Amino acid sequence: MTVLSILSLPFVAVLLTLWSSLTLASDYHENLLLQPLPQSSLLASFNFRSNTSQQSFDQQHFRYLPRALGRWDAESWGPRPWNGSKEGGTGVELWAWIDAPGDDEAFAKWITLTQSLSGLFCASLNFVDSTRTTRPVVSFEPTGDHSVANQLHLLHGTLPGEVVCTENLTPFLKLLPCKGKAGISTLFDGHKLFDAAWQSMSVDIQPVCSSDGECVIQIEQTVDMVLDIDRSKRSRSNPIPRPVPNDQLICDTSKPYHADDTCYPLEKMNDKAWSLAEIFGRSLTGVCPLADSDSASDQSVCLRVPHERGVFTSEEAQEIKKEDGITRCFKLTPSTSFDLSIPQQPVTTEIPLDEPVLHAERTIVGHGQERGGMRIIFGNPSNIRPVDFIYFESLPWFLRPYIHTLRATITGTDGVPREIPASDIIKETYYRPAIDRERGTQLELALSVPAASTVTLTYDFEKAILRYTEYPPDANRGFNVAPAVIRILDKAHNSPIYIRSTSLLLQLPTPDFSMPYNVIILTSTVIALAFGTVFNILVRRVVSVNEAEALGAQSLKGKLVGKLVALRDRFRGKDTKVE
Amino acid sequence: MIDRKVMVFGAAFVLRLLLICLFPSLPDLLTGRVEVSTPVNSFKRLQEGLFLYSGNVSPYDGGTFHQAPLLLPLFALLPDAKTWPLPTAIFYILVDLVNAQALVTISESGQSINSRFHSAVRKHVRWNGVSVAAWFLFNPFTIATCLARSTSVFTASGILFAVSNAVSGNSVNAMLALGFASYLSMYPALMFLPLVLVCYDRRTQSPQAPKIAPFILQHAGLLLASVAGLLGLSFLITGNFWEFISATYGFHLLVPDLTPNVGLWWYFFIEMFDSFREFFLGVFWLHLASYVGGLTARFRRQPLFVITSLLGVFAIFKPYPSISDASLFFALLPLYRHLFPLMRYTFFAVSAMLYSSLLGPAFYHLWIYAGSGNANFFYAITLVWSLGLSILLADTIFAALRDEWEQDNPGKQGTEVRQV
Repeated sequence: MTVLSILSLPFVAVLLTLWSSLTLASDYHENLLLQPLPQSSLLASFNFRSNTSQQSFDQQHFRYLPRALGRWDAESWGPRPWNGSKEGGTGVELWAWIDAPGDDEAFAKWITLTQSLSGLFCASLNFVDSTRTTRPVVSFEPTGDHSVANQLHLLHGTLPGEVVCTENLTPFLKLLPCKGKAGISTLFDGHKLFDAAWQSMSVDIQPVCSSDGECVIQIEQTVDMVLDIDRSKRSRSNPIPRPVPNDQLICDTSKPYHADDTCYPLEKMNDKAWSLAEIFGRSLTGVCPLADSDSASDQSVCLRVPHERGVFTSEEAQEIKKEDGITRCFKLTPSTSFDLSIPQQPVTTEIPLDEPVLHAERTIVGHGQERGGMRIIFGNPSNIRPVDFIYFESLPWFLRPYIHTLRATITGTDGVPREIPASDIIKETYYRPAIDRERGTQLELALSVPAASTVTLTYDFEKAILRYTEYPPDANRGFNVAPAVIRILDKAHNSPIYIRSTSLLLQLPTPDFSMPYNVIILTSTVIALAFGTVFNILVRRVVSVNEAEALGAQSLKGKLVGKLVALRDRFRGKDTKVE
Repeated sequence: MIDRKVMVFGAAFVLRLLLICLFPSLPDLLTGRVEVSTPVNSFKRLQEGLFLYSGNVSPYDGGTFHQAPLLLPLFALLPDAKTWPLPTAIFYILVDLVNAQALVTISESGQSINSRFHSAVRKHVRWNGVSVAAWFLFNPFTIATCLARSTSVFTASGILFAVSNAVSGNSVNAMLALGFASYLSMYPALMFLPLVLVCYDRRTQSPQAPKIAPFILQHAGLLLASVAGLLGLSFLITGNFWEFISATYGFHLLVPDLTPNVGLWWYFFIEMFDSFREFFLGVFWLHLASYVGGLTARFRRQPLFVITSLLGVFAIFKPYPSISDASLFFALLPLYRHLFPLMRYTFFAVSAMLYSSLLGPAFYHLWIYAGSGNANFFYAITLVWSLGLSILLADTIFAALRDEWEQDNPGKQGTEVRQV
């Protein structure tokens, strides 16, 4: 399979025909997991997975992540949903393993893919050009089953500044068999979805082969979001946040400054009351009739709260409590609406959140528009194990890193930072420097952070100044730098864990956009002045002043002046004097 | 006499060493200044190239390093400049002293006042070699270039050695040195014609004078051979010929990096419309090359003066000029001390240059760091700087012509002249 054009138009065709045939051989699952998080947040994790046997999809695997928005607050929310493997960086991230004989063919197919996906998802993916495309070496591994693994080329592109909104949700829903009319996808409301504190959408396509050699294409779509319960419950007709009235404030009376007009708010003692209809703005309608009717898919809505908490649901739904004590799932009945509500209750047992394996943070340091520095902080919260991971970043070409300035500082439990040789931390480096206007920088580091310590990496960079046509209209806002991707190589987990840093904003020096004509004119004047003066001096003869006057008389001008003088003199009645 | 020379050289050495020891952050600060470091001579970029080179990544497969490949093994021999800054600094100071020694040779040959066709009228108004060297060594621009460890000093060495060998009659060495300079920065190749004329005039003073055309061809061949030899060596180092050619000479020619500098090209090509970019690149290069023919033809009697004024032209109109190019021009200018009384706009030119060297850093700060000024502030200063330099250049050329005229008309010394 070498032709990737199936990912353009035939891609749509395949999907359209796919769902019509699903009624016959239904292999579709959908699932919604709801989990309250600290700070009155709620994680809603939607997953849609379907298989189809389609020969033309054979050797392809690509992953399209329309976007993640906001910042995953790992310190209070714990590890990411799906271990970060179904998550993109801020903006849009796309990576694909492309089956092609050579690098150039792979890139040509990649451009075809980005163009067609751009049309399919109404996203600006066609702006993923050679400067935004990298070929990661160790950061990603193909999932799914591939027969010709040696022919696969991994290409990776990001658009950190891409703003994704409701126009991207509609094509996403169109890919689903029930298209948002039945099942858990009825909860998608653009107003609520893109109002979340954190939100991520992804589409994965991979070939899955059974042992007898029959291959199917699996398409998995996920939407994860963290909703602020208070914010979501705010009615749409009165969306302006208002301060809590004084009499409803719960204050810490032990504070010395506590008075009638000063209040230190206490941590909330109660979990918020919420219901599906309040949070999502609509209720869930039935089940998607195309979904598998086995037991797993039947229980399409799951909730992770302690079993002792009271949960009220619609009468038709059947509640199944799992053995772990915190999960319960609901079996829905077709074509009836389902709602789920949780009353306000005091917190008795906390749902245990796993500690993330690694904390990572990346910032730009320094001031001025000429140069700066990148600072990456890795914290290993574990007291026992070191953590090994791959750090991958792709930088735009106008950010010129100086890798020879890479420095590592380690802070142990004593809190004293010590500078160490970078090679103590960095096991391997894959570095591909940028070429102006051709490709971006690609940096992959294999790092190991010892137990209970924090490692800070820094390096200097210089900011290039661009041609004035290369600046966007909002040049002074700055340029987006794609998030770094961290892949944790943890033997305990089967699948790798991914963490993404936030995207960065890079301020570049700007010329004055208003005066190209003035600059061209002024520079040309200075050049003409120098050229004119020098060559004027070079081509003329040097003579003394007396000789110059004599010569001047013989020249055309001199003769004219002479004639004029003679004419004047004649009018005045004097004797003519011709020189 | 020798004692005075030792004192000047020793004082220059100690002054640089003191500056480095008293202000350890000064070299890095100067390395970061756009007036001193350009994309083609920056020491920081050299270090990055060196890092990639020692890490077995091709330094030319990237947008950072655009300097000649032979610098890499040379600097790989020196200890790391971050941990051991002193050896690198001393190396650069020694290069400066060697350059000054070449200047002493040029000055003491007396070719600037007395050559085959030319004998200056005011012979008595001159500085000796040590004074010329002192003028070079204590020029703040030279000191800044040395402390910033800019690789322009190697090009300057090549040029100065080419000239000093030419005036001493070693025409082969002169061509080899010019080949080295051209290999490093390309533009010194434009000085071939005046340099070979210096060599020829020097040769005709010996009994058997060769014919001029074969002499020039022979030396052109020599120059080409030396450049080809250095390119061959570079090929052995890098392994990919076209990659380093396009990253170094292609970079000089096409000016893709528009980092601000003291020249006229960067802002012009930032603001230039895309469709006219190539046209104006051609025009700018043609303009730069046009001075060679004009000056060489008019000053056939003083080819050394052509070299001096060409260095001035390059300091103004090169794609990536820095103050090191201006310092090289200023280094050769005192050879023509006898022209100073004939110059007309010295005050204006010098004050324009002082004005721009003082306000340049301030305006750059306002644009890049304070944000209270925009790019036009620094651009205006580069215009003034170029204007000041070109006035000085034109004035020197005028003074040289006037000097020739006085030589031809012995009775009219000191009278008013005019050009027609």
